Amino acid sequence: MSAIEVDFRGGPVSVGLDNLKHVVVLMMENRSFDHMLGALQAENPKINGLTGKESNLDTTNEPVKVQPKAAFQGQLDPDPDHHFPAVNKQLFLGTSGPPATPSMQGFVQSYWDQQRDVAHSHKIMYYFAPNKLPVLHTLARNYAVFNGWFSSIPGPTLCNRAFAHYGTSFGQASMDVFYVKEPYKSIYERLLAAGKTTKLYYFDPASSTLEVVNLLKNQPQIFGTYQQFLEDCKRGELTDYSFIEPNYSDHPGPGGGELLASDQHPDHDVQEGEVFIASVYNVIRQNPDLWKTTALLLAYDEHGGIFDHVPPPSCTPDGFHASLADTGGVPFDFDRLGVRVPAILISPWIAKGTVIPGPEDPAKGRVFEHASIPATITQHFIGAYDQRTVREKAAQTFLDLLGDQMRPDLDCPSFELD
Amino acid sequence: MSQPPIIRVPKTARSSYQPHRPLWKNTLLQNQVRHFLEVEKDLPPEHRTDIVYDSIKTEADAAEYIRRVTEKLHSLGAKT
Repeated sequence: MSAIEVDFRGGPVSVGLDNLKHVVVLMMENRSFDHMLGALQAENPKINGLTGKESNLDTTNEPVKVQPKAAFQGQLDPDPDHHFPAVNKQLFLGTSGPPATPSMQGFVQSYWDQQRDVAHSHKIMYYFAPNKLPVLHTLARNYAVFNGWFSSIPGPTLCNRAFAHYGTSFGQASMDVFYVKEPYKSIYERLLAAGKTTKLYYFDPASSTLEVVNLLKNQPQIFGTYQQFLEDCKRGELTDYSFIEPNYSDHPGPGGGELLASDQHPDHDVQEGEVFIASVYNVIRQNPDLWKTTALLLAYDEHGGIFDHVPPPSCTPDGFHASLADTGGVPFDFDRLGVRVPAILISPWIAKGTVIPGPEDPAKGRVFEHASIPATITQHFIGAYDQRTVREKAAQTFLDLLGDQMRPDLDCPSFELD
Repeated sequence: MSQPPIIRVPKTARSSYQPHRPLWKNTLLQNQVRHFLEVEKDLPPEHRTDIVYDSIKTEADAAEYIRRVTEKLHSLGAKT
């Protein structure tokens, strides 16, 4: 396709998009946008992060401001509650509840509910200081930060990750097993049926996948390990679309040794997640042919109960209705999004310091969520495809962010792992 | 500038390694184990681990259980 052609939606095709052969998605665990990237607003006002004045009231009615005191490990223990009823409190405390605009005032009091320790509850407002996260912050400074990427559901991991694989959670708003309903297919099945290549890489068999019930059970051939991902990249045999899962547990290696969880799920060490993100980036970055033909999306599945200041907007419903048992009795029709999460699109075809405006910009802002992933992959690799939810069809896609100018090699950072 | 900017990434402290962290502290891993138990019910009896949820106490226990079932699913390689 030449640069003057148009894609099937009628928009112009950039040189970067014309060169694109691979999309890789790395999905981490349970951290909010403000917690991980909020500090960067001080150096780039376009980033909708923290001013330092954002606060929640604690259970003694004292205001608790955000503070740049987040540590790699040891602060968010117990794991902050992020099931639907708790997130509902985090979003709507002090309001009449949905459909009111979320107040974002309930994070501290929700965390207090878990062990009734006022001082400990304040830690939910901590965020990482600039340069505390050299990998994430470097990627944010160098590529494209989404101000408006939200988790798909105001709830926990599995139903949110389902949106990245299927464009829906099939009505599930909890951590329970869900089953695929016809006519919908996973993005992997769609790609294979279209003659494309795809792989879902889990870290190793002991960490495995969070998509066991539907995908690993029925399509084990689409899975590989992280080691295989590294080898595929080095050999130039990366599939068209790859999805990477981090290591979800501390466990011994196959030949001994110690493998640390790299998912950044509280209370796993955030530093190990930094190392993991850097290793994914480096293996693409260090292969020149791969680097110029690959877009890497780094996203977090949900906020993990941690503070963010941006009220999640409404969205196109997907036609399902959540069980009231899962939502604490709150009716939920998958018509509003969950809490905002970090998301960064990485490619040499993206201008340094790009920030995609979100809801803070009523004129130009764009709202993304995990259904944007299958929507984008389908659009790019398959084209017209009708057997998907209206939610996915309405989701924003992100490959238009690739431009016409490839940045010189000297302008794109690398990471040196100790 | 003659080479790309290189950002140093410190190694994670080894003290972070806590394979004996109680499973109840990690709701994600608890649910991952529950889902594997659910899938295992559909395996032919001779391929089941016969491991019960209550015997999985730590992250390392969970990882070992998940490894066994994952490898089994790959070795079976087809719909059960």
